[in-house]
Amino acid sequence: MSERLLEVRDLATTFATAGGPLPAVGGVSFDLDQNETLGIVGESGSGKTVLSRTIMGLQPRTNVTVSGSARLNGFEVVGASEEAKRSIWGTEVAMVFQDPMTSLNPVMRIGKQIDEVLRVRLGMDKVAAKARAIELLELVGIPSPVERYRAYPGQLSGGMRQRVVIATALACSPKLLMADEPTTGLDVTIQAQILNLLDRLKSQMQMSVILVTHDLGVVATRTSRIIVMYAGRIVETGSTRDVFQHHRMPYTRALLESSPKVANRSHTRLQAIPGRPPNLMKLTAGCAFAPRCAYATERCHRERPELTVTESPGHAYACWNPLPTTRGVS
Amino acid sequence: MSDQLDELTLIDRPEKSRPLGVLFWVCVGWVGLNIVGAISANFLPLPDPLYQNYSAINVGPGLHHLLGTDDLGRDIFSRLVFGSRVSLAVGVGAMLIGFGLGAPLGMLAAYRRGRFDGIFTTFMYVLLAFPAIIATIAVLSFWTPRALVKIIVVIGLASVPLVYRVIRTATMGIATKDYVVAARIQGATDTRILLKELLPNVAPIGVSFLLIGIATVITLEGALAFLGLSVNPPTPSWGNMINESRTVLAQNPWLVIFPSLAMCLFLLCLNFIGDRLRSHFDVTEVKL
Amino acid sequence: MARYLTRRVVMLVGIVFVISVGAFYLIHLLPGDPAVVILGTGDSPQNRAILFKELGLNKPIWDQYFIWMRNVVHGNLGTSFISQTSVAGTIRAALPIDLELIVLSQILAFATAIPAAMRSARKPDGPLDRVLGATSFTLLSIPPFIIIVLLVLLVAIKLQIPHTGPSSYVSLTSDWLGNLESLALPAFTLAIASFVVYYRVLRSDLIATLQEEFITLARSKGLSSRRIMWRHAFRPSSVALLGTAGVNIGGLLASGFVVQYLLAIPGLGYTLIAAIAQSDYLLVQGIVLVVSVGVIVINFLFDFIINLVDPRISRE
Repeated sequence: MSERLLEVRDLATTFATAGGPLPAVGGVSFDLDQNETLGIVGESGSGKTVLSRTIMGLQPRTNVTVSGSARLNGFEVVGASEEAKRSIWGTEVAMVFQDPMTSLNPVMRIGKQIDEVLRVRLGMDKVAAKARAIELLELVGIPSPVERYRAYPGQLSGGMRQRVVIATALACSPKLLMADEPTTGLDVTIQAQILNLLDRLKSQMQMSVILVTHDLGVVATRTSRIIVMYAGRIVETGSTRDVFQHHRMPYTRALLESSPKVANRSHTRLQAIPGRPPNLMKLTAGCAFAPRCAYATERCHRERPELTVTESPGHAYACWNPLPTTRGVS
Repeated sequence: MSDQLDELTLIDRPEKSRPLGVLFWVCVGWVGLNIVGAISANFLPLPDPLYQNYSAINVGPGLHHLLGTDDLGRDIFSRLVFGSRVSLAVGVGAMLIGFGLGAPLGMLAAYRRGRFDGIFTTFMYVLLAFPAIIATIAVLSFWTPRALVKIIVVIGLASVPLVYRVIRTATMGIATKDYVVAARIQGATDTRILLKELLPNVAPIGVSFLLIGIATVITLEGALAFLGLSVNPPTPSWGNMINESRTVLAQNPWLVIFPSLAMCLFLLCLNFIGDRLRSHFDVTEVKL
Repeated sequence: MARYLTRRVVMLVGIVFVISVGAFYLIHLLPGDPAVVILGTGDSPQNRAILFKELGLNKPIWDQYFIWMRNVVHGNLGTSFISQTSVAGTIRAALPIDLELIVLSQILAFATAIPAAMRSARKPDGPLDRVLGATSFTLLSIPPFIIIVLLVLLVAIKLQIPHTGPSSYVSLTSDWLGNLESLALPAFTLAIASFVVYYRVLRSDLIATLQEEFITLARSKGLSSRRIMWRHAFRPSSVALLGTAGVNIGGLLASGFVVQYLLAIPGLGYTLIAAIAQSDYLLVQGIVLVVSVGVIVINFLFDFIINLVDPRISRE
């Protein structure tokens, strides 16, 4: 039995905006073990990015309230001061951001951006830090790392930049790597390379990985478990196999039907999810997906369903009218 | 962050511009009062600003002379009111020249683009690189004898490149908008597009820049007067009065305090009105 | 980078040419015979003959320009017929004072504006930001010549601090402490004017930069706020600051004129105003030329520094 790395309990994040409170994440609970890879999936606006940042304690400093608990390797992130959180950032948990164009400092040589972590966080001297930075560049597959060490981000391609961001994240050997849409800004051909790199590094460096994405194709083969989010809440969670093959929540199915699958023939028509993601400031007491759901009943609009466990361990869904179980059918 | 922003933009919030506020109207009132005073100075019951009363030299503020008298026994309040005429005339006059030449050229260049824009913009940027204040001092010192009209013309011409740049930038932002492009495709005449589509949208930016420009010009005229390069004494102007106070600072500090106060208050109000208008119309900051 | 620099240098040369033509032509703006004007009180047949030879006044105007230009390039700006001294020599004596004044004021302005902008940007719309914003807006509306007069009134006349009043300039070589005292009020005045501009420009750019994703990434590396502000946010935010500083130099010189004039500090400004009062037009012309070219060159240098600070600029 592997050890628990992360425990999230009833975590909620609310932004104070000019138009009133905006509940971006509303009561999320889950666990993550060491060396496990978890996928968090949802449309844009589902709160997955806010969730991943809240777990890190990286939310904006003002106009935001966080409640609940997120314990990372024994460290309670919620309510911790910026100084305290600094001690886990980089060393316990590190992040790979969505857009490598904007997540690297454009006026700093990439070598310096890696160096810096090593020197500030690990107290390495100049020479050692540089040597290690070049090693890291090599590790993430950057050709001629000695020359690239002196390059500015603007002189690298998108894929190369994302590799630099990954190298920066790995600098202090974190136990948890939070990858927020790590491939969204990249060409399709580069996407697979970056995901494979993350896979390789995960086993090489003994990390847990949380992969946040809107693209189910990304998580299908690389995660052991998946969380599906909608309007700031978990609507279905389970092993990757359960979520893909035995999902019960209509939203999960809609999400699956809206993403291309390798198994399908190349001209299969994709199903768009009807309607728009909900306005989080006007959420009703009912299920947030109800207005877009083909199976919605009067109860769905009135009362929000809680997560219901299924017979398969770890598999749960939040729905009043779940899809019929497919277990044992195939 | 983009995910977070997505969520925030989902809020259906009506675009509301910032209210102008009480302070804005106080400033408008003060500027209006100054203008009315300057225009009607001749008809107000004020002592002659040039009359030298040797029996009342360097008198402090009081009943007879509201704000006291200067070292030649002239009434400070009267000189302040008459002095505001010079500041206003230079400020408004120079900006009329600056906007009269710079604004149409800037709009046209931004609308036409191409070679017309290329030539004018390069030319204006060369002029902009030229230190305008030093050029103004140089021309005014050589172009004797000094007169109000010359000062207005020189400062006005010096401001043309700046006005051109601001208006051109503002127009470019609007000329590429869909509704202008649509009007163009539908075959609206150039004059019509310039006057009906572009002008009303550029005007707010122009007005707020105009006010701040007037403040800048008044400051410049004040500095010139302080250096003895503006209208010749004994004509009162705020800058002249501050200049004349130099020699009697120790004996009569009121002589510098009142014109300074008059000038700073007026400038503060102009800047404030300009700034508020700009944020009211939600115009992105134009560099001055 | 090289192409960008070449383009800037070509532009620089062009502007300097325009300035030289302008400065040259100033003399001809004067009504009447330029010789009479230049000679002023020193008008005599001998001086007249020297002047005609030196300036080629009987030749066509373009020849006159080239004669004048050749002299200028050789560092000869002519000899004032009023003070009987070389214009270049007078400028050389006065220029260091202006430079000292500018350097002092800029050190003061940057040393205050940068930390102030950082504090403001850390909590936009917080109490400190509001106070600084209102203060800087008010200061923006107080012209330097009023600031210096009021400062002199307060410090030199009311508080009787030595070396701060009019006509009490102490040269750097005779007494450096006295020199600093006599330049304190002028430097402070110029610093206020610069502070206002620098603070506002840097504050708004810092606020924009701090929203950037790379700042969040820097936070997620566990760096201190101080380090993030200085190492990550400051440099990309300083482009507009440097540009403004470069442009500000021209205005700074003009404000320098005002303070020198009030306190009779014998820098270029004071010399210029005195020369105008004495109708010493060759000296006026020389100062205008030197100051204008100086401003342009400083502007160019700032452009160059901006390129070093932000490699994105020359790559467009």
